Amino acid sequence: MRFIGLRLARGLLTLWFAVTVTFFLVRLLPGDPVLAVADPNMTEELRQKLLADFGLDKPLAAQYLDYLGQLVQGNLGMSFRQSIPVTTVLMERLPWTLILTISAMVVTIALGIPLGVLAATRAKGWLDRVIQLTGVTAQSLFVPSVGILLMYVLGVWLGWFPIGGAVDLDATGLGATLSMLHHLVLPCLSLVFIQLGGYVLTMRTTLIEALGEDYVSLAKAKGVRRGKVVWKHALRNALLPTTTIAGLQLGTLVGGAVLTETIYAYPGIGRAIYEAVGQLDFPVLQGAFVLLAAAVVAANLITDVAYGILDPRVRTS
Amino acid sequence: MRRAVLLTALAVALTACAPSVPGSSGSSGSPGAQAPASADRLTIGTTADVVNYNPLVGNSRTDSWVTDLMYPKLTQMDATGKRIPYLATEWSYSEDGKTATAKLRDDMKWSDGKPVTASDVVFSVTAVQKEKFGVVAGLITALDEAEAVSPTEVRFKLSRPDGTFLDNVGFWLPVVPEDVFSKAPSVQKFANDKDWVSAGPFKLTKVERGQRYIMDRVDDFGPGKPTVKQVVFRVFPDVNTEVLALRNGEIDMIGNVLPPATATELKSDTAVKLQEIPSLGWAHLQYNTKRKPLDDVRVRQALAHAVDYEAIRNIALKGFAKSSNSSVLTPSLPQWTDQASKEYAFDPEQSKKLLAEAGQTNLRLGMIYDQADPNIARWAPMVRDAAKKAGITIELQGLERNTYLDKTTKRDFDIYAGSWAVMDNPPANLGLAFKSGGFINYAQVEDPKLDDLIDQAQRALTQEEAKPPIQEAARMIHDQVYDNVLYVETFNVAHSAKWTGFQPMPSELLSILNPLSLAAAKPAG
Repeated sequence: MRFIGLRLARGLLTLWFAVTVTFFLVRLLPGDPVLAVADPNMTEELRQKLLADFGLDKPLAAQYLDYLGQLVQGNLGMSFRQSIPVTTVLMERLPWTLILTISAMVVTIALGIPLGVLAATRAKGWLDRVIQLTGVTAQSLFVPSVGILLMYVLGVWLGWFPIGGAVDLDATGLGATLSMLHHLVLPCLSLVFIQLGGYVLTMRTTLIEALGEDYVSLAKAKGVRRGKVVWKHALRNALLPTTTIAGLQLGTLVGGAVLTETIYAYPGIGRAIYEAVGQLDFPVLQGAFVLLAAAVVAANLITDVAYGILDPRVRTS
Repeated sequence: MRRAVLLTALAVALTACAPSVPGSSGSSGSPGAQAPASADRLTIGTTADVVNYNPLVGNSRTDSWVTDLMYPKLTQMDATGKRIPYLATEWSYSEDGKTATAKLRDDMKWSDGKPVTASDVVFSVTAVQKEKFGVVAGLITALDEAEAVSPTEVRFKLSRPDGTFLDNVGFWLPVVPEDVFSKAPSVQKFANDKDWVSAGPFKLTKVERGQRYIMDRVDDFGPGKPTVKQVVFRVFPDVNTEVLALRNGEIDMIGNVLPPATATELKSDTAVKLQEIPSLGWAHLQYNTKRKPLDDVRVRQALAHAVDYEAIRNIALKGFAKSSNSSVLTPSLPQWTDQASKEYAFDPEQSKKLLAEAGQTNLRLGMIYDQADPNIARWAPMVRDAAKKAGITIELQGLERNTYLDKTTKRDFDIYAGSWAVMDNPPANLGLAFKSGGFINYAQVEDPKLDDLIDQAQRALTQEEAKPPIQEAARMIHDQVYDNVLYVETFNVAHSAKWTGFQPMPSELLSILNPLSLAAAKPAG
């Protein structure tokens, strides 16, 4: 219980830090939000009035305290540009980001573990080298490059997948679900591509290590089948570091989702952030960052707790 | 086996947590590249979402395109920028210029069945006047009071004669339903994000944020029933993706203006039609007259002679640009142009001579521009290279858009490179751009004679009366190089060859997406 409490306190501290950095960071952006809505007929008087309306005429410290006060009450403020609560803006977008990130994570793990096992069990063979090379290369790529490449090859040249959006206009029922999955393929694949290497390489290393352990030798000596030794005995122990990777990768995944959604006009939070930056819509930007930071903190907390359950030594350390 | 079950369960869970998907409209989808167009649906590509559904506040281009289809204005403009009837059938000023009157058509209805009346117009203009927001606020400073004389007649009482008032209000003020908007404590803060009551040719029926905006035809739209049943605005990440979608047959039209290079590429595509749209603005260089040595007119003239205008229009703009003869009265508004105006010749020797007269050697200046503007990013180096021939060093400062706007507003630059989008009424626009203290007077011009000429033009109640002083003002701006007009862009808008009947109007704002044009659009053949 104390372990969970400590992790929770650390999570909250991280979140506060993220909120504070975000608050000041968005205000360091050049220009003021009024300029983003400026039109040729705006006068200085109107500009000052807009600043007051946005609450930006107060000292920065007062704005910060106001914001924290509202935040603890669950109020993320009103969008400068849309005149609606930030919560509404984000909740419209959140399901799409969840679909994208969860599906990318599931596919990455589903591919990463078997590929890691394949490489480890054929260590130093040609297949191992190919998997390692591909893994390292994929890990080094920048998600927009992958996204654009996939869009042009699979979307434009081959015409297999739509080049943007999330679902067809006329699709209903099962057709809508299929259309949604069809639209999901390219953005999901882009994220899978850049993340897969991490899982594969970690899995490979830890499994090679596990395969050299005494209990594996014992199992082999007892005549247990090779497949069972790998998948039942060694893999279970080698999975622990992969749990950590899943937690750590979530930050990369969320960052990648922002870029992927922008490239594919996928209607998630990432696209909302992209639009809010251009419009200097501080409340939406802050709200989106807080939400994403909270998601990463929560995922890490869950990872920590899960790790503590899987390996009790962590709880006492 | 267990893994297969787990994956299946995950797929089911994923489907279950999916956001709501659109219902069937019963109409056919976007025509494929080979399928003939039907009048069921016209799909338009855009690169941004609607930010604000309140037309009095809305500010992005997509906001205007969508809300213009929902809320009428008193007037539209024809291809030459002249105002033509929309909600208003006629309009005039009293002899002393202190009263303006507009008569309205009586066959326009809000979607809740109530008629569009003079009270709605009065409410809309008064809300902007009281709360001082949006584009219109800065244009109605002469307004004392608006009143509904009858359901079809509005009277505006003005504090001073202002011949720009009706043009400005007619073109820029969206008329909103009083019954709906008056319930909001603040009209400016009213989001208007659901249960829309509108009176344009199309009504917004469904929004899928980040994806599309679906608008259905209004059968009893006063000026005439639109041909197409449904208009859909679909959101794309950028123009290049829109072009791919147009060629694939996923969309029927691209709302955004095409970059010149893309327009050139599309010219040979028989499945696509390009529509040329004149800009109501212009691209220009402005020199900060409050900074030395730019306060010296000879230095500004030297800079004007150090630009290769033809090269910029032919190379950077691929020929999709017209000369404005260095005048702020552009060929897009032919009723105002001054035929006597002549473009500054690209003459480095003349520049050198002028600089020598001004006692300038090794002149070094910075030039700010928005690096995301593809046109300016192309011609900025050309300006630098041409100036070098006259011995002037220009340091290019391509900036992120908000930084650029910030520097512009603070007048923190030597040379400003940019463009104005919609300058539809010279007496009103020149006031904002060149009168002392004008909000977009970036060059910080302070010239009492120029102020006086612009005031005279603004007081004039007819175009004929306003023309002489505004032409003289334009000549001063030309001679003093208060603005160095480079070109007036000819925009290209692309639509599928399967569609016809559009009614183009000037500017990217109106283009072929204006309400009367989309109401008239129909499948070709």
